[in-house]
Amino acid sequence: MDHIELSLTQSLDHCIKCNICTSACPVAAVTDAFPGPKYVGPQAQRFRHAAQPSPDASVDYCSGCRVCNQVCPTGVRIAELNARARAQIVAERGMPLRNRIIARSGLVGRLSSGPHAPLVNFTLNFAPARWMIERVMGIHRHAPLPKASTYTFRRWFKRHKPATNGRRPQVVYFHGCSTNYYEPHVGKAAIVVLEHLGFEVIVPPQRCCGLPLLSNGDFPAAQSHHEYNVAQLLPYARAGIPIVGTSTSCTLTLKEEAPELLGLHGDDIHAVAAGTYDIFEFLRNLYEQGRLRTDFRPIERELPYHPPCQLRAHRIGRPVLDVLGLVPGLRLRESRAECCGIAGTYGIKREKYQIAMDVGKSLFDFVRASGQDLALCDSETCRWQISGATGVATRHPIELLAEAYGLAV
Amino acid sequence: MQTLSTDVLVIGGGATGTGCALDLAMRGIRCILVEKGDITHGTTGRYHGLLHSGGRYVTKDPQSATECAHENAILRRIMPHCIEQTSGFFVITPWDDESYGDVFVTNCHRTGVPVQEISVAEMLRREPALNPRISRVFEVHDGSADSFLATHSVALAAREYGAEIRTYHNVVELVRVGDRVVGAIVEDLRSGERIRIDCTYVLNAAGAWAGKIAAMAGVTVTVVPGKGTMVAMNHRMVNTVVNRCKLPSDGDIIVPIHTVAVIGTTDVHVPDPDVFGIEPEEIQFMLDEGEKLIPGFRQYRALRAWAGVRPLYKDKDVASDRDIPRTFKLLDHEERDGVSGILSIVGGKWTTYRLMAEQTVNELARRLGNTQPCRTASEVLPVPRFEHRAHAMVTVSPDPAAQTPHYWLGKPLALVESEHAAGDLICECELVTRDRIIAAIDAGAHNLDDIRRDVRMGMGPCQGGWCIYRTANLLYERRCADGLSHTHANEAMLHFLQERWKGLTPVLWGDQLRQARLDELIYAGVLGIHRLRALAEPGGGLVTQHPAIATEYVQA
Amino acid sequence: MYDTIVIGAGLSGMLAAIGRAERGEKVLVLAKGHGATHWSTGCIDLLADVDDPLAGIAQLAIQRPHHPYALAGPAMIEQGIARVRTIGEAADYPFAGNLNRNLLLPTALGALRPTAFAPATMIAGDARQLRDGRPTLIAGFAELRDFFPPLIAANLRAQGIAAEAAQLALPPTQRQHDFSSVTLARLCEQPAFRANLGEQLAAHVRKGGYARIGLPAILGLRHATAVVRDLQNRAGALIFEIPTLPVSVAGMRLYQILEDELLRLGGRIQLGGFVQRAEHIGDTLVAVFSEAAAREQRHTARHWVLATGGILGGGVRATPEGYLYETALALPLQTPDGRAGWFAPRFLDEHGHPVFQSGVRVDQRLRPLDAAGRLVYENVQVVGGALAGYDPIREGCLEGAAIATGWAAGQA
Repeated sequence: MDHIELSLTQSLDHCIKCNICTSACPVAAVTDAFPGPKYVGPQAQRFRHAAQPSPDASVDYCSGCRVCNQVCPTGVRIAELNARARAQIVAERGMPLRNRIIARSGLVGRLSSGPHAPLVNFTLNFAPARWMIERVMGIHRHAPLPKASTYTFRRWFKRHKPATNGRRPQVVYFHGCSTNYYEPHVGKAAIVVLEHLGFEVIVPPQRCCGLPLLSNGDFPAAQSHHEYNVAQLLPYARAGIPIVGTSTSCTLTLKEEAPELLGLHGDDIHAVAAGTYDIFEFLRNLYEQGRLRTDFRPIERELPYHPPCQLRAHRIGRPVLDVLGLVPGLRLRESRAECCGIAGTYGIKREKYQIAMDVGKSLFDFVRASGQDLALCDSETCRWQISGATGVATRHPIELLAEAYGLAV
Repeated sequence: MQTLSTDVLVIGGGATGTGCALDLAMRGIRCILVEKGDITHGTTGRYHGLLHSGGRYVTKDPQSATECAHENAILRRIMPHCIEQTSGFFVITPWDDESYGDVFVTNCHRTGVPVQEISVAEMLRREPALNPRISRVFEVHDGSADSFLATHSVALAAREYGAEIRTYHNVVELVRVGDRVVGAIVEDLRSGERIRIDCTYVLNAAGAWAGKIAAMAGVTVTVVPGKGTMVAMNHRMVNTVVNRCKLPSDGDIIVPIHTVAVIGTTDVHVPDPDVFGIEPEEIQFMLDEGEKLIPGFRQYRALRAWAGVRPLYKDKDVASDRDIPRTFKLLDHEERDGVSGILSIVGGKWTTYRLMAEQTVNELARRLGNTQPCRTASEVLPVPRFEHRAHAMVTVSPDPAAQTPHYWLGKPLALVESEHAAGDLICECELVTRDRIIAAIDAGAHNLDDIRRDVRMGMGPCQGGWCIYRTANLLYERRCADGLSHTHANEAMLHFLQERWKGLTPVLWGDQLRQARLDELIYAGVLGIHRLRALAEPGGGLVTQHPAIATEYVQA
Repeated sequence: MYDTIVIGAGLSGMLAAIGRAERGEKVLVLAKGHGATHWSTGCIDLLADVDDPLAGIAQLAIQRPHHPYALAGPAMIEQGIARVRTIGEAADYPFAGNLNRNLLLPTALGALRPTAFAPATMIAGDARQLRDGRPTLIAGFAELRDFFPPLIAANLRAQGIAAEAAQLALPPTQRQHDFSSVTLARLCEQPAFRANLGEQLAAHVRKGGYARIGLPAILGLRHATAVVRDLQNRAGALIFEIPTLPVSVAGMRLYQILEDELLRLGGRIQLGGFVQRAEHIGDTLVAVFSEAAAREQRHTARHWVLATGGILGGGVRATPEGYLYETALALPLQTPDGRAGWFAPRFLDEHGHPVFQSGVRVDQRLRPLDAAGRLVYENVQVVGGALAGYDPIREGCLEGAAIATGWAAGQA
C-alpha cells in the first residue's frame, strides 16, 4: 500500500460526523434500506477488517452517485469507501448472476447489436418477455433498457472517410460500450465535430472501461479491463495525444475511478488518466486557448440539461454549459436534481428500480415541466432513464454541437 | 452510623480487587468491595488494552513473561467476549538493535512464551501499513482486551456468588484496635452517608492508591505511580498488536482495540497518582515513534490522549521505574510491619489480575480456614446486560470465523445492521444504540462517564459532539422520576464535555481541531448550554468533582 | 474567465457572490462542499449578550477596529441583512426580528439564545412572549434522537416559562426506521403526514389549553412557512420551531434560498474539489487550481473573494507540530503565539479559545495583509470566518459578521 493508496482509506479520518452527506444523499431521501453515506462510509469503515467477514450489507444500496463526495466539506471519499466495501462483500459471497451479466456491458452489447438488433429490441419491448426476464434475472420489467443498434460504431468508423486529409493534430476517441452498440450516432457526432475542428481522430481497440464491474463489486474483472485499455491508450498518452470520450462515466473511470478503487498507481496508469478528457472539457480547453471554431448556426431553443452525477464527479464544472453557451440563440436550463436515479446498472435491478424512480422524480418533473420534446444529458444510462420515465427524447450535447456546426451525422 | 460486617473488605474496584472479590465469593468467603469511583475507574480503565503474550517481559522480567503467557490462555477461555484475537508482532525496525532478535527468541523459549518468526513479506501482506524497512518479525499471542467489560463481567459474577460491591464508596479511615486492623469507615459519595464495615481482613487492592490506603493503617507501602500516556488514533491502521522488538521503552507499542489503535506508552514517575498532566513533548515523541512503525503516522487522525498510573511496587532501590519488575507482590503487613488484619496486593498488570487474585485469596482462605480450591481459571464469566444483545448476535454472520464467541471488530456493525438500528444510534461513532444506553442506565450507571465506560459512548471521533446531548437526555428521562433534576442533567453534560476536553487538547490539530470547533458550535452556539449554568443552585453540591480522577458523581 | 470567483459556499461567500452577480458580473462560487450554514441554527446572530445588537456593534467597532464589523461598517451590516430578508420574503421564507433588540429563542436544551433575526417559523418562541403565563407545549417524536422535550420543558420552567412536554406519535409513513431531522422535514411536506400531525397537536391543545407549541425545526425543507401556517391552523395554537443538532434543517433552508437567488442571477456554483493553490503576477492573483479527477482544474478571474471560513469552515488548518496555515491561497495568518496559547483550560470558557481567532488580517477594503502589514493581493477580498481577530461562535456574531463582510465584498 503506497501513500496514495493509503489516502483513500485514510480519508475516513476527515469525517467530522456532520451529516451533510446524508442530508444530501438522494437514495437515503427516498428509502430506509440505505442508512446513508456517513453511516455506511466513514462510520462503518472503522468497523471493517480486511481479514474478517463483512459485517454489513446495506452498503450495497449506495448507488455510487457521489453526491456525498461533492457536498462533504472535509474531503472524505465516501463513495469510494462504499465501492470498496461492496467489493469485499462480492469477494466473500460471490456475485449474483444478474449482476455478473449486467456488469459486462461490452458482452451484452456485442450479443444484442448487429443485424439481429430489431429482434432483440422487439423482445425487450414485449411485456411478457420482460416479465420473464424480471422473474429469472431480477431486471425490473419497466427498467429503461437501451435499443440495440443494427450496426456498431466501430464498423461505421472503419468505413468512415474524413472530409479532409493532410497532417493534422491527432486525438484519440474512447467511445465506450454504449456508443458502440446502442448509440453510434453519438460517436459519429463526436467524430465529425473533432474533424471539423481540424483533428485526425484515432479509435484504438478498447474494452469496456470497467465501471459497471466496479460498481457491482467485481474488482478483478474491472482490473483486467483497465489494464487492457491502459495498454492500448498508453502510447498516445505518452505522445501527448489527448484521449477524449463522450461517456462521462468511461472518462471518469479512466481518469480516477479505476486507479483509485483498484489501488493502481503506476506511471502508465497515471499517464493515461492525466491524458483523458471529457469531450466538452476538451472543447472548453480549446476555447480557452482560442482554438475552438465558433462559426455556429443559431439554434433558437431553450432546452433542459441534466449534468449527470458522473460528470459532476470529474469536478470540472459545467463544460457543456460553457461550450453550448457560445451557440447563438441556444439557452440551456440546468437541472438541479441531484441524480436521475439510474446510476449505471443500479436502477434496472428489480429491488432498486422503485428507489431509482423516486430518486429521479424531481428531474423527471423538471424535464416534463420544460414543455420541450428534447432534453440533453452527457451520460447514456441517464438519458435512457430520463426518456424512459418522461417520454421526452434525449440527446448527448455533442449531437447538438454538431448541429450547431451544421454538420451532418 | 450503619455498620456492616464481613470476612474480607476489598478496597479497590479495578481488575485486581474485583478479581479478588470473585475468587473470595466463589470459595464461599463473605466479602464487600468498596471503590471510590465506578468499577474500572482507576488504572484498569486507563490502559491500552493489551492482552500480553509475555513477549514484552521475556528479557527484563522473565517471571512476568511466564505468568502472562499462562494467564493469556486462561483469559481467552473465561472471557472470550472481552478479547479480540489480534495476534501480535515484535518487529525490528532500522532504529533497533538487530542482534536483539535472537536474544528475544531465546528468551521467549526460556520463559514459555510461544513465538514464531515470520517473513517481512508475510507481515506486509497482513499489515500493509507497517514500515517495509522492518527487517525481522516475530509473531506472538498478543491480543486486545476490553478491560471495562472484563471487569464488569467479573463484578457481575462476584455479585452472583454473593459478593457485595459498593461503587462510589470512599475509604475515609481504617479502624485499628491495637496492632490489628478490624474494619473501615467508608463514605457513600452519593449520599454523603458514612458506613462502618467490620471485617476479619482488609485487602488493600487500591493499585496506584495502595500507598494511601496503607498509610491509613499506619504502614508504609511504596507504590511508584508510573504515569503512562497513550494516544488513541481514529481508526485501526493495523489489526495486529505491533511491538518494537527491543527492551521495553516509550512509544513502542500499537494496540488495535475496538475501533481505535492506541499508541503507548510513556513511563514517567509522578509524585501523586491524582495529580498529573500530559506534556506536549510526550505526544510529539509518540508520534515520532509511531512514524517508525507506520510511515505517515503523523498524518492519521489522533482522537484523544490520556494517561494512567501504573501501580509499580518498589521494594528496593532500582535505577529507573521501567526497571521495577512488573510482577506482583502480596504484602503481609503482620510479618512485614507488625500490623495484622490487613494485606496489600501490589504491582502486576491487567493480564495477570486473575493469578494475583488466586494467590491472594489462597493466602486469605488459608488464614480463614477455608479449604475450597480456586475455580476462577475454569469458570466462564457472564456477560453484562448492557452488552448482552451485542454479544448474542455473533452468530448472525454466516462466516465460521464470526461464530467464535470472541469479540470481533465488525460485531457492533453487524448488530446494528441486523436490527435496522442505524437511525437509533445515540453514539454514532461507536454504534451505540438507544437500547444499550438505556440498559446501561438501568444497570446502575450513575453518570455519563459510567455509561461511557460501559458502552463506549462518546469515545469515537466526535468525542461526544452529538451523543453527550442525547445520552444526558436519556439519563434525565429515565431517572427524573427518581429525583434526577434538570440541573443534574445540565451539569452532567458540562462536566463530561470538560472531561473530554482535557483528553482532547493534547491532540488538537487537523481534523480533530475542526471537530472540536464543531462541538463548540453545537454546545455553545446551537444549544447555548453555557447559558444554563446560572440555573444550578450555587453551592448546591449537586455534582461533586472528585479530587482524584475528576469525573463527576451525580447524586441520584 | 470569470469576473469574480468566490471560494467558499457559506453565508459570506454566497452574499458576496449574490452582490456581484446582481451587478451584472459573471460569478462562480467554487467550494469543496457545504459548511457552517448547514450546521448552525438558521437564525441570524448579530451579537449575543447585548440587548441592542446594533448599539453593541457600534461600541465593538470602536474598541476593536480590526473586528470584521468595524471593517465592514454599519451600512454593510444593515444592507446585507436587508438583502437576505428580501430574498427570504421572495422565497416565502421571511425572517423576523430587529437590529436593535435581540430575540431570545429556546434551544433544544431549553436555554434561551439571543439572536437578531429568525425565520418566521421560529418567531413565536421568543421568550418575551413565552413568559406571558399562558402554557406552552414542547413536543417531539421519540424516533428523533436530536430533540428531547422533557429536559427542554424543565429548563424553560426553571426560567419562568410555563412549559410542558409531550411526545407525539409518528404519523403513518412508508418508512420503517431512521427518522433524522431531514427525513422528518421531507415527510412534513407530505399533506397526509402533516394532517395527522395537526390532529395530534389539536388534541393536545384541546386538552392542555396551550397557547403555543414548540416543535423541532423539521417542519419542511422547501416550504417551511406554508407547513407551519398549515399546522397552526390545524392545531389552533401558535407554532414555533426549535433548531436541532447538525445537520440543521433551518440552516439548509437558509443556504437553499441563497443558492436559488444566486442561480437566478446567473451565478454558477461548483462543489467537490478543494482549491489548493494559486498563481499570481506580483500582487495580482491570476488563477487558482482546484482539485479534480486526474488533474487540477485552473480557474481564472479578475476579482477574488476568499470565503473558506476559519478552522470550522476548513479555511484554516493546524499541523501536529503546531503550525497554522490558510488552505486555499497560502495567505499569511494572524495566530496566537505557539501552541501553548491555543486553548483555554475550560472547554466552555467564556472568552473562547485563542486558536479560533486565527485568520487572515486585512486592510479596510478586506484585502489580505502580511505580518508586516503589506498588501498581499490587490484583487482578493477575505470575508467571514477566514478573517482574523474574532470568535464568531462565542461572540454570537457568526451570521452577522459573515453577511456584513460578504455583502461588503459584493459591493466593492
